[in-house]
Amino acid sequence: MSQTPSPIGLHKQLDAIWRTPPGLARLSSVNHTILGKRFMALALFFFGVGGVLSMLIRAQLATPDSAFLGPEIYNQIFTMHGTVMMFLFAIPMLEGFAIYMLPKLLGARDLAFPRLTAYGFWCYLFGGSILIVAMLVGVAPDSGWFMYTPLSSKPYTPGINADVWLLGITFVEISAVTAAVEIFVTILKMRAPGMSLTRMPLFAWYMLVTAGMMIIGFPPLILGSILLELERAFDLPFFDPTRGGDPLLWQHLFWLFGHPEVYIIFLPAAGVLTTIIPVFAQRPILGYRAIIAALVAMAFLSFGLWVHHMFTVGIPHLALAFFSAASALVAIPTAVQIFAWIGTLASGKPRWDIPMLYVAGFFVVFVIGGLTGVMLAMVPFNTQAHDSYFVVAHLHYVLVGGFVFPMLAAIYYWLPHISGRQSLYRLSIPAFWLILIGFNLTFFLMHLTGLMGMPRRISTYPSNWGWDWLNLLSSVGGFILTMGFALVLADMVLQFRFGARFRRDPWRAGTLEWATATPPPSYNFAAIPHIETRADQLRPALAGPALAGGQGYLGFVHRGEQETLGVNMVTGEVEHLITLPRQSYLPLWTALATASFFLALLFKLYWLAPLGALVTLGLFLVWPRGLGTRRDRGPLDIGRGVSVPPDMEVHDNVTILANRTALAMNATLFASLLFGGLFLLVVAPNWQDSSAAQVPLWVGAVITLATLSGALLAARARHDNARGRPASSGLILAILAQMIAMASIIAAMFWLGDPTGHARRAVPFVALSYAGLHCGLGAVISAHALWRLAKGYVSARRRTEMVLAALWNAYAAGAVILSLGLTGILGLGGATS
Amino acid sequence: MTFILSHPLVRLIAGFVVWSVAFIVLYAAQALGCAYDWGDWHRPILWLLYLLALAPLVCLALPGNSHDHQGTLYTAALWANRAALLAAILVFLPVSFVSLCI
Repeated sequence: MSQTPSPIGLHKQLDAIWRTPPGLARLSSVNHTILGKRFMALALFFFGVGGVLSMLIRAQLATPDSAFLGPEIYNQIFTMHGTVMMFLFAIPMLEGFAIYMLPKLLGARDLAFPRLTAYGFWCYLFGGSILIVAMLVGVAPDSGWFMYTPLSSKPYTPGINADVWLLGITFVEISAVTAAVEIFVTILKMRAPGMSLTRMPLFAWYMLVTAGMMIIGFPPLILGSILLELERAFDLPFFDPTRGGDPLLWQHLFWLFGHPEVYIIFLPAAGVLTTIIPVFAQRPILGYRAIIAALVAMAFLSFGLWVHHMFTVGIPHLALAFFSAASALVAIPTAVQIFAWIGTLASGKPRWDIPMLYVAGFFVVFVIGGLTGVMLAMVPFNTQAHDSYFVVAHLHYVLVGGFVFPMLAAIYYWLPHISGRQSLYRLSIPAFWLILIGFNLTFFLMHLTGLMGMPRRISTYPSNWGWDWLNLLSSVGGFILTMGFALVLADMVLQFRFGARFRRDPWRAGTLEWATATPPPSYNFAAIPHIETRADQLRPALAGPALAGGQGYLGFVHRGEQETLGVNMVTGEVEHLITLPRQSYLPLWTALATASFFLALLFKLYWLAPLGALVTLGLFLVWPRGLGTRRDRGPLDIGRGVSVPPDMEVHDNVTILANRTALAMNATLFASLLFGGLFLLVVAPNWQDSSAAQVPLWVGAVITLATLSGALLAARARHDNARGRPASSGLILAILAQMIAMASIIAAMFWLGDPTGHARRAVPFVALSYAGLHCGLGAVISAHALWRLAKGYVSARRRTEMVLAALWNAYAAGAVILSLGLTGILGLGGATS
Repeated sequence: MTFILSHPLVRLIAGFVVWSVAFIVLYAAQALGCAYDWGDWHRPILWLLYLLALAPLVCLALPGNSHDHQGTLYTAALWANRAALLAAILVFLPVSFVSLCI
């Protein structure tokens, strides 16, 4: 290659391409380092909000017969405490950390879809703001963080409190699902060359499994929220037992998400521990293979125990036995990891530092939480302790032990990477002890309060039941805990202000993120390394200067584009060159349009909501403008004597993988709807009180024929394009076919009768709406492919748009057939009357 | 089938995918049997489904003789599949003795 510039010259050239402009233009940032920091900072702000709410709770409960907060305000406060901590702190914090860290750990320059990262951040900010503003004006959700029906249904929560939760959280969840897709694709496709799956640091394995769980775990909650909002807004009775619904359906959908959610929060934290412990033990982690197997086991088992939150609702013994056994069994893969960590420490030469204090705190607190979890997995004990403060104690031991302590270890370990400065440590040790003592004083006593019969969510209690001193001590402990967190915050501020600067890798770690300069530059690595050993046993202090000098892949700026590399998912062999989009205001505008949709629904401006949705869709379609090329470029030089084709010219590129992943997520949402319909058919108490919804056979045949034709035509167009034949006519016919299918579905919905009368008509109504929507999406994506084809962005080699059109049309056909099938099955006689 | 399982990531999750499908089928069969009153057929059907679920899991839990797998991932997959077999035996065993509809 031509002459390589000096490291500083290369830095200036790369930074000119990758940097985010100053001033208001910061709003256009799509850089993962900036957005990861924004996610984490906002999550910490919400952690503060949740913490203040917990102080209010403890102030209220400190003494019996307290009049500090009335029951109405108290209901809002404990609901918001749980909601904020789970949805606005824990999940976004792990997302933000993964967004910041993963590309650096994997040897990439950014995530797969930087604009999607930015869009996710804005959705998180706007959705979270809806909840906080609602709380400030006194209409916060007040039905508990799990929003059980019928309490959250319209007759019992007539105001907009529940709508705030359903719409605000769904808005926030957009950031979770977009992050899940990004993390999944980035880990599989954007590692440094040579980093096979078996050389990948375990943190990336943890995040790969977590992303997979998010892809399957979040859709049931999103579907449940949509159904409950449809019931509240349009009176479609999914959870109303008097009209064929069942409140238990909400519990199933919520906990199908809610229990895996605990592991979704824990696994990234466990990944942090698996990264930190070997560094301080000064030896590689023990049991790399066993940990991977344990991770897979945990991920799946965690989906098989959702009903353990519902042991007392009246479920047959056999079902109880399934879920009880799975709940106890999940302790085994958890223990495999804990023993691997202990073994690593025992067989290494541990050195103590502040992060290790929190690791030790984790062991104590999380193991106690795990053991009480096994106790609660046993049905007889669960029945006794259900809905008592014992459960409150257990869940805080698990979540604070399993997430907050590792997060604090991570802050002390990685904050120097962000700040470029080391901690002063003067406040760190007292902060740790205040947190550990305060936490245990607050929550250990709640085990006793619970066993003495104190139920959850009561706003006050009389003084003659023996709970007084326990509650008072818990409240004292809560304030000690808060002082500890305040000291951590002060410690962080002091580190940024007064911490000593350092060169690379202060901890003598073995992972690639420490090979970047600190704070990291906008492009992470001036050159991308070739990995030849396991990527948690590297020597970043040595590799860093070489990479900064351009020794590696892409150590130049010949093309003036934001470039990184794509690899084979398994072997890590370099396969293609990925060009990433630059900063743009489009994610912000799209998120604002999305906000208009959610706000219109919240304020019952139903005429405005479709407009917001259409503008959002339209803006998404504008995103690819200016991306891609109008000619085949062929293999391009990436340095080290290697040339690879650009991403758009390979058949398994990141865009296609992301769409497949999104469709898997979408299919999970649809499967949850099918489950809901079949659940009501079998279980709902008044299912047969209404006549069945029927779609005439000939109408069903027309719909099926049209959508199948659309799918086949799109597939044919893809096939023709791949062979260099004209594909426009196939796409046009596919659009027409899907439009016919959509119009026929709309017509068929008139045959269903009034969907507000009974769940037997409401479920087919929603299923057919879903199918019709996907026919429309199939048409839109085909039209988009047609436009890109006409503009010259598509060729036999650059065929991504054609593949996407075929994928989405095939999915639409599948959704139509299953929706019609569900409609037919729900027309059969139910089991109960 | 062998072709699909040759992908290391598929092999890694194969056992627990079978476990998950079996879990859903058994839970559904338990509910349907109670709702539609399958009577004396209910438990034998559950037994049959239980055994059907175990068969592929036993196959996945046995070490293969192929040498073209990446060692680390292949071993992890084998352990994960054995864990799935163990989970299936323990979690689904109650179909053999616990009351079905009460």
